Amino acid sequence: MASISSRRLAKELAEIHSEGCPVGINLVKADDFTCWWFTIEVMGESLYQGDKFTLQFRFDPQYPISSPAVQFVVTEGRQAPIHPHVYSNGHICASILGNEWSPVLSVVAVCVTLQSMLASCKDKQRPVDNDRYVRHAPDNPKKTQFHYDDDTV
Amino acid sequence: MSTTNTESVLGQELTPSQIYDLNQSLLNEATDVSRPLIDSLVPISHLRKEYENGSKAFVDQIDWLTEHGYTHIRRARGDGDCFYRALSFAYVEKYPDLTHLSTTPNLLESVGFQRLVFEDFYEVLEDLIKRVQAEPEEMREVLMESAFQNPEVSNSIVMYMRLLTSSHLRSHAPSYEPFLFHPETGLQLDVREFCEGWVEATGREADHVQITALSRALLIDVDVAYLDGRVRSSEEKVEFVKLRPREDPEFAPPATTTEATETTIKTPTEPIVLLYRPGHYDILVQGEKEKERGVQEGEGQAAEEAQAHEEKK
Repeated sequence: MASISSRRLAKELAEIHSEGCPVGINLVKADDFTCWWFTIEVMGESLYQGDKFTLQFRFDPQYPISSPAVQFVVTEGRQAPIHPHVYSNGHICASILGNEWSPVLSVVAVCVTLQSMLASCKDKQRPVDNDRYVRHAPDNPKKTQFHYDDDTV
Repeated sequence: MSTTNTESVLGQELTPSQIYDLNQSLLNEATDVSRPLIDSLVPISHLRKEYENGSKAFVDQIDWLTEHGYTHIRRARGDGDCFYRALSFAYVEKYPDLTHLSTTPNLLESVGFQRLVFEDFYEVLEDLIKRVQAEPEEMREVLMESAFQNPEVSNSIVMYMRLLTSSHLRSHAPSYEPFLFHPETGLQLDVREFCEGWVEATGREADHVQITALSRALLIDVDVAYLDGRVRSSEEKVEFVKLRPREDPEFAPPATTTEATETTIKTPTEPIVLLYRPGHYDILVQGEKEKERGVQEGEGQAAEEAQAHEEKK
């Protein structure tokens, strides 16, 4: 029997193909059960009008019990959005990707949450500790223990 | 906004609170990994030894439990899932039956969970119960221990129990909302906030609300023995919180079906007993004599069920 992880991802992928992604979210690649890419755009009026960002999901064999490693792609000319919760290396400080992760969240649900995080942004700036963090950041954002001390942004 | 990078933080100057946090997390990891997700049954004297050089109040309480027939303990890893894991193990062990459980996926769906987020977890639980039913009584413990020590199986079952707890809370929101508070800030939460943050999120510990909700969702009696080191004046040195969902008119199955269910469901005759120590749950087990008696009572029915299961195939 296939692992829980690949069974679940296979179902999520089938749903994406049959029902499509929500507006502003598009699947770029999902060739295996370890790494998927999506583009996200904020629809309507926002500080990110006309911008398109690429999100990478990496899954370990414990997915969906363990959260996916999610970050913005910052290679080959792609940029992370300038946002108080997004580091310039693409890492994202969001509680649902850390201690509030739950398997009830699907890949698409995470995309939608991040899309609305951008949509509600009032102040386009990097996290205050961006430079210090980026200098020492591990490759995998899941190895970082973020402190989610600001729910207002 | 601040970050603690566990890889880069070493070697830098740390504040005392950062050092404390780092120590605490290392300590947690160290103690956790050394213990199986669910350990084998051991005499409660093993636990007593750990307190012999410490608090006398704890030792007295352990002795009181021993005198009252609670002679064994099955420990769960202290990882925030211990309540759900301990309860699930005790549930499958005492009550390997799908009659009620098979109705619960509909409850999850009715509160808005997508099937794809819970069906794999449910299938793991269902499959384990079927395998337990098919095993002779004396082989079940080995099967269950190996299942619950396997992270994929064990965590899937834990997750299903979390979602079941959440579904029960969501579907009875008015009954629970006056009691839902943020465990750290004390702010009142609505049922959705409480469930998302404190029930469905992996690794979040259960408190009284979650325990009550799960016992009601599963329709099982649960006793929680509080090993809290408190000295009591009464004869009862250990406080037992007893949950009896089937005696509660709001949560018991509808009266019209009670009679029918009583005959078909193998109702657990004795409650599941958990041992609570501050921040942690294990399974408390009554002595061999009581246990053997329980086993004989259940054996005939179990054999019938196993047979019925075979016929279904």
